Amino acid sequence: MKMTSMLKYCISCLIGCLSVCINLNAQETDPTIPDSLVVKNKYGLRVGVDASKLARTFLETDYSAIELNADYRLTYRLYAAGEFGNEEHTTSTDYLNSTAKGTYLKAGVDYNMYTNWAGMDNMVYFGFRFGLSNFDQRLNSYTIYDTNNTTWGQTEVLEGKDFKGLSSSWLELIFGFKAEILNNLFVGINVQLKGRLSEVQPDNFENIYIPGFGRTYDSGKFGVGFGYNISYLVPLIKKAKK
Amino acid sequence: MKQFIYLFLIVIFSCEKDDICPETTQTTPRLVIEFYDLTNPDVLLQVPGLYALGLSTDGIEIPINNEIVTTRSSIELPLKTDDTETEFILYKSYDIVDGEVIGNPDRIKVTYDSENVYVSRACGYKTNFDIQTFAITTDTDPWMISSDILINEITNENDIHVKILH
Repeated sequence: MKMTSMLKYCISCLIGCLSVCINLNAQETDPTIPDSLVVKNKYGLRVGVDASKLARTFLETDYSAIELNADYRLTYRLYAAGEFGNEEHTTSTDYLNSTAKGTYLKAGVDYNMYTNWAGMDNMVYFGFRFGLSNFDQRLNSYTIYDTNNTTWGQTEVLEGKDFKGLSSSWLELIFGFKAEILNNLFVGINVQLKGRLSEVQPDNFENIYIPGFGRTYDSGKFGVGFGYNISYLVPLIKKAKK
Repeated sequence: MKQFIYLFLIVIFSCEKDDICPETTQTTPRLVIEFYDLTNPDVLLQVPGLYALGLSTDGIEIPINNEIVTTRSSIELPLKTDDTETEFILYKSYDIVDGEVIGNPDRIKVTYDSENVYVSRACGYKTNFDIQTFAITTDTDPWMISSDILINEITNENDIHVKILH
């Protein structure tokens, strides 16, 4: 019940902001400006990688991932956007040690809220994604949770177990910035708030970490994430702002 | 915009409690025994100075956590999670006089199957037991006369698993 209302809140926030921005956009059209100087914006396909995931791959022993991202500009403010990645992460708590490994795809749109100076293509944006992940989990070891273990000692089970064919889908709200630092080269950061829609759970275990979604929580279906992207725009056409 | 930031903060800071297994969660349960009157088997009868000790496979007495000498009609005993049998010594009228343990010790032995069941991310796995046999080892001066397994499956500590007449 609490989760449903939270999800509803997120969706209404998103819809609310979208409609506000669309209204603002509509008001910006001003027919009195003479078009003697037409400023054109670059439209095209922007492709990139998540640099934070690459950095963590090199720095952390229990993590390896690669994420490619792309967006395609549809209108002055709207972009079709998506990410595709492969992630492996080992979660180690006092009582569990498990490794999740799999592939994910996220698709959706980004909406640029920022009104650029003439000819610039920076973004302050939010958007949403539908995410889908297919993965395996391996339970490497676990320690029996026993509050009375002082008598006989702790029991650690080292015999591993594989759980294959797991999957999950989720919705994601994304908020971020993208700035053109060199001609056609962009860097961006974003944060993501996610809510799981469905998941295939292992038998007598749980999805501890979902590639693309991140770690899960006992208290609900929500998750968070962040990205640091470096991307390159392949400009296909130039269009004047309408 | 502010709402977004608040939402992210709420999610991020509400997460920490998830990593601690709540005390209210039933994790590995203990064996619960109740003591009844031999002459009237439906009536609980308190055991004066009841005190339990674990008995290792080498026959060494192991103190049980939080176990103190008290007069009571029920007791909770932790079973070994890495074995299929556990032995205990139950003392009636336990006391220490001039460094000497007095009281009447009786031995009990439980054999069981066990199963490790997933609880949650924070609590990991617990062990549930399925009692196969419960026996009071006969000695020259037994205070426990007979026993009866009421519930074989040990999954929580609200159930009474074994009834002992004395």
